[in-house]
Amino acid sequence: MNTTEIFTSELPVGEKLSIKRTRFEPKEKVNNKIKRISIVSGIHGDELEGQLVIYLLANWLNNNSDKLKGIVDIYPAVNSLGVDTITRGFPLYDVDLNRTFPGSANEFLPGQVVHALANDVKGSDIAIDIHSSNIFLREIPQIRINKEYSKSTLPLAKELNCDFIWIHDAVTVLESTFSHTMNSMGTKTLVVEMGVGMRLTKAYGHQLLIGILNLMQKEGMIEGKDDFVIREAFNSEIGEVFYLNAPKSGLFVPALDHCAIIKKDEKIGDIVDPLTGTIHATLIAPNDGILFTLREYPVVYEGSLIARIFGDNSGKN
Amino acid sequence: MEKIEVLRIESLSRAPLVVEGYLFKGTNPKAPKVAIVGAMEGESILPLYCASTMVDFFKNKIDKKQIKGDVLIIPSINHYALNIGKRFWPLDNTDINMMFPGYELGETTQRIAKKVFDAISGYDFGIILERRPDPATCLPYIKLYKSGYEDLVGAKKFGFKMIHHRTMKSIDTVTLQYNWQLWGTKAFSIMCPSDNQVDKKIASQINQAMIRFMDKTKIINYHIFNGYESTVIDRNFIDVVKSPRSGIFISKELAGNYVSKDQVIGEIVHSLEGDVIHQFLAPCNGMITCFYSNSLIYEHAVAFRIAKIG
Repeated sequence: MNTTEIFTSELPVGEKLSIKRTRFEPKEKVNNKIKRISIVSGIHGDELEGQLVIYLLANWLNNNSDKLKGIVDIYPAVNSLGVDTITRGFPLYDVDLNRTFPGSANEFLPGQVVHALANDVKGSDIAIDIHSSNIFLREIPQIRINKEYSKSTLPLAKELNCDFIWIHDAVTVLESTFSHTMNSMGTKTLVVEMGVGMRLTKAYGHQLLIGILNLMQKEGMIEGKDDFVIREAFNSEIGEVFYLNAPKSGLFVPALDHCAIIKKDEKIGDIVDPLTGTIHATLIAPNDGILFTLREYPVVYEGSLIARIFGDNSGKN
Repeated sequence: MEKIEVLRIESLSRAPLVVEGYLFKGTNPKAPKVAIVGAMEGESILPLYCASTMVDFFKNKIDKKQIKGDVLIIPSINHYALNIGKRFWPLDNTDINMMFPGYELGETTQRIAKKVFDAISGYDFGIILERRPDPATCLPYIKLYKSGYEDLVGAKKFGFKMIHHRTMKSIDTVTLQYNWQLWGTKAFSIMCPSDNQVDKKIASQINQAMIRFMDKTKIINYHIFNGYESTVIDRNFIDVVKSPRSGIFISKELAGNYVSKDQVIGEIVHSLEGDVIHQFLAPCNGMITCFYSNSLIYEHAVAFRIAKIG
């Protein structure tokens, strides 16, 4: 195990910004074509679920170093200053690092940070970028895949022990993300979304750990065969994602638990006004399905995302 | 003058957000029309000030007969952020200028963008008063994407010293400028320094440039002095000076100043011990287009951008 700094910047008053990577390598290198996987989290400083997953993975690798056959690079806190200050974007610049890739050495500071990360991850066979939704929404463990790269990334996604694989169309603006940049540079990159911002969901952390270990074993990076039991994810191509946005501003009070199996016309929650004791709107499921995204932060404006349901578009679950 | 309600959004505890546009009808229905969009972000005091003083110009300082084409001015879209000192949409920190052309069934800022876009669609010309995204003091200038739809000749009619003709990034496809152009409006962004206070001199330059543009495009008949014969630059013309040390940054030159190669243009003072730990030397003969606007600077931050001359 070896920890290095991939980017540093002296801060104005007696402190240093440092973005760190720890590398785990096999004790004995068997050949030159050793595979490498990079696990990244904390591109958004308010998303902490990846910290737990990476801790669990590092801990497992510490205890099972003799089984390792590939290189594992972990980057728990890309926006390290943001992680420690509950700040989603890059502090001071207020920039979303995941809209700044690929960056360059001559750009403003956030552009230099992402450039350093992309250059360091470059050459990995696989990369996994772990996100926690944000503070507003709770998500079941899911993989987001750009259709453009799905041929190479979908088989890997199926090994990750997540509940849902969402294959989405190519969107130009998403070309500025880590995953698009790395996929275009030849590293098969997957985005995981799970849990909620600023919090840890321990069960999800353990679930993804099993998935990462399973994927590494399937790729020959861990000794052994079929040691990890994983679940089969449902795939967005067999159904449809239904969005529910707030029709009114107010306080959202959910009527269901996250991850519930729901029926068409079932109540998802109310948007209420505490000042008058009235209900502004009642949200009803438009379809049978699974409630895989649910509003966590209760204050909503007209348009705020309340829920996403994945279901059969024929109306059957 | 007619006040138009562009959008209204209720809130749990705040007063409703009501965005209004000021429409000044022209006397000639065949004359070109322009829409001006002010502050889309909270920390956009200069865009707000420039747009509101344009309202004052059309309301009180120009003879109505001199207004030939319609002029719509929306001084602020993001009152909620302006009123509490936030930069982006206060609840979810999303940037309205990354939501165009908007979506009526989407998230809140997509809905805002859609309603704004509906209100400003169909104009011949569009002017966006934008704050620089990074902490930087700059000369006001025109930013124009190399989108294939841009009007570089029109951009020169403002008479700014500089036009930054910029290669597009993927993220620019969701900006107002690009989408406005895509839908047939010749749109221009006037870039303002990110300083959060009014600089009357710069504000006056910006407003004169907008009036000059409107006169030259026959939207109004109001002759003022000519501006600069604008120099069009792209990234290849710019030398980037990064800070090799962190500390207290003091620029010795202003944006727009000409500097000679190896001239001292700034310094960094050790923030705890007070001594000068670095002097910035100009890497070339040129004009400073912008410099870092915070007094505390990070190592590797871009301290100066200099357009090369000679």
